Amino acid sequence: MKKNFKQTSRRGAIAWLLQRISAAIVFVLLMLHFVTYHFLSRGKAPAYGDVMAKVTSWWFPLLQLVFVTCALYHGLNGVWNIVEDYVSSRFWRLVCYGLILAVGLALFCLGTLTIVRIAYLKA
Amino acid sequence: MYTRRKVYDLSYFTFIGTWAWILNRLSGLALIFYLCLHIWVINNLTQGAEQFNRVMLFLNQPLFKILEAGLWGVILYHAFNGVRIIIVDFFKGTLAHKRWFVFFIGLAFFLWALGSYLILSHIGG
Repeated sequence: MKKNFKQTSRRGAIAWLLQRISAAIVFVLLMLHFVTYHFLSRGKAPAYGDVMAKVTSWWFPLLQLVFVTCALYHGLNGVWNIVEDYVSSRFWRLVCYGLILAVGLALFCLGTLTIVRIAYLKA
Repeated sequence: MYTRRKVYDLSYFTFIGTWAWILNRLSGLALIFYLCLHIWVINNLTQGAEQFNRVMLFLNQPLFKILEAGLWGVILYHAFNGVRIIIVDFFKGTLAHKRWFVFFIGLAFFLWALGSYLILSHIGG
């Protein structure tokens, strides 16, 4: 069958799918996160030693890295979706995109640095 | 016959789906703001036990515990409305999206009460 439309970019569709995949990952990790850090301690702030004791396994920093990456992607892509709805000027969209990218990269670096430093400190 | 609604037709605001969408966006914005703060605060873990304990002692005040229970509520709303969105998108959930909304809000409220009890039970004891 002859296509009567021009093939457009699939970027939006991929972002839509990634938003759902990252949501599912963040959902599971966030529930685990709340049970471990907020509920098991019955609201008491976790002690430094207890937190450091949790990071002794190889999978813990890896899981945290997946968590930070997915949560940041999901959150900032969500902000971008809102920008796309309300900002129509090409210039301001570019400004917003740049800001979102900068905040995302800065927080990703800070988060990764924290995870790596903790993993390094415990050794 | 399909009739076009006016752009500012306020009758949309009587729909459950409209409110689910508005609240999803507002809760999402609140959560991304919190995530930014959280990543920054957790960075204190790398400054050693003394600094970490100082920050935790500050955050252990009743005000922050109440905010924590509020955060748990916002997370639950966003998370379970998100599950509803995935059901609508992938599993023909559009047919009963309002019923799914009521079901998930009920579940979220139950989990919020349970979690808030655990978070706040520390205050004063």
